[in-house]
Amino acid sequence: MKKLILIISALGLAAGIYVWFYVYNKPHTDYENKPPDYIMTAKELYDRFVENPNLNYTGKVIQINGVFQSVEDDDSLITVVFVFNEGMFGSEGVRCTFIPRFNEQLRKLKAPGPISLKGFCSGYNGTDVILEHCSPAN
Amino acid sequence: MKKTVLIFFAIFFSAVSSQAQKYITKSGKISFFSDGPLEKIEAKNNKVNAAIDAKSGLIVFKVLMKSFVFEKALMQEHFNENYVESDKYPLSTFKGKITNIKDIDFTKEGAYDATVEGDLTIHGKTNRIKTNGKFIVSSNSINGKSSFTIKLADYNIEIPKIVTGKIAEEILISVDVDLKPLKR
Repeated sequence: MKKLILIISALGLAAGIYVWFYVYNKPHTDYENKPPDYIMTAKELYDRFVENPNLNYTGKVIQINGVFQSVEDDDSLITVVFVFNEGMFGSEGVRCTFIPRFNEQLRKLKAPGPISLKGFCSGYNGTDVILEHCSPAN
Repeated sequence: MKKTVLIFFAIFFSAVSSQAQKYITKSGKISFFSDGPLEKIEAKNNKVNAAIDAKSGLIVFKVLMKSFVFEKALMQEHFNENYVESDKYPLSTFKGKITNIKDIDFTKEGAYDATVEGDLTIHGKTNRIKTNGKFIVSSNSINGKSSFTIKLADYNIEIPKIVTGKIAEEILISVDVDLKPLKR
């Protein structure tokens, strides 16, 4: 009986440790090493969201390429910007915020220029398509 | 509802086309905090769109819900899937007006108290809100700050029964935006 209680307690403890480390404290998704769900040009991505703001690309990893117009360096977050339109918030297009470890590499970029990148699509806010946790696409 | 949004944007665009200065940001910060008996919940979003028409006092915010970052991945997952249903309602907006715009001179450096009133839409539900804030006007930008509390129930955000009473029913929202003149 004692042995059974010990085994059940050990299993319970193991389950608790598993839940704590792998469920409650599970790490954020590693988007850099996640293969893209879709590959297209930056312009195609923008046009598709403008045509259908409820496009189901939200939450997906998308790889895009195209000519970016500027690089914004704000609060140690670097955003590569593709511009395709003008509206109430100024230029509109695709805004791609990179994982900070690529900052040094990105600060050497000369705008405008070609780039290929992938990132997590958090959606279309009515002016821009937002990609986050971006990394250069090989 | 669609008609109201169209009328609002028509008014805003007509204001934009006038000579009055507009100030915008696409990297505004919004965070929220709740302190329940079970756990504290905190998240930050630093990709907020905000625009202010300095003449009319019209003010617009656009916030993608999937851009909120939590310390714990599990919490972020629950927030998106179970609470705000960000696949179904990806965008939250605030469209309103600075009601004491006559007391604020966006061309003169200084700190100004502001009262803002407008429609806040979260989770597909719109409520009229009124809050106080502060604008700090400097030579090349305007910083706007405000914080206010909302009730989750007012936005049809349900707390799962298993954690009812353990998670706060109200959250504190803090807004911090650095707006720059819109260049044409």
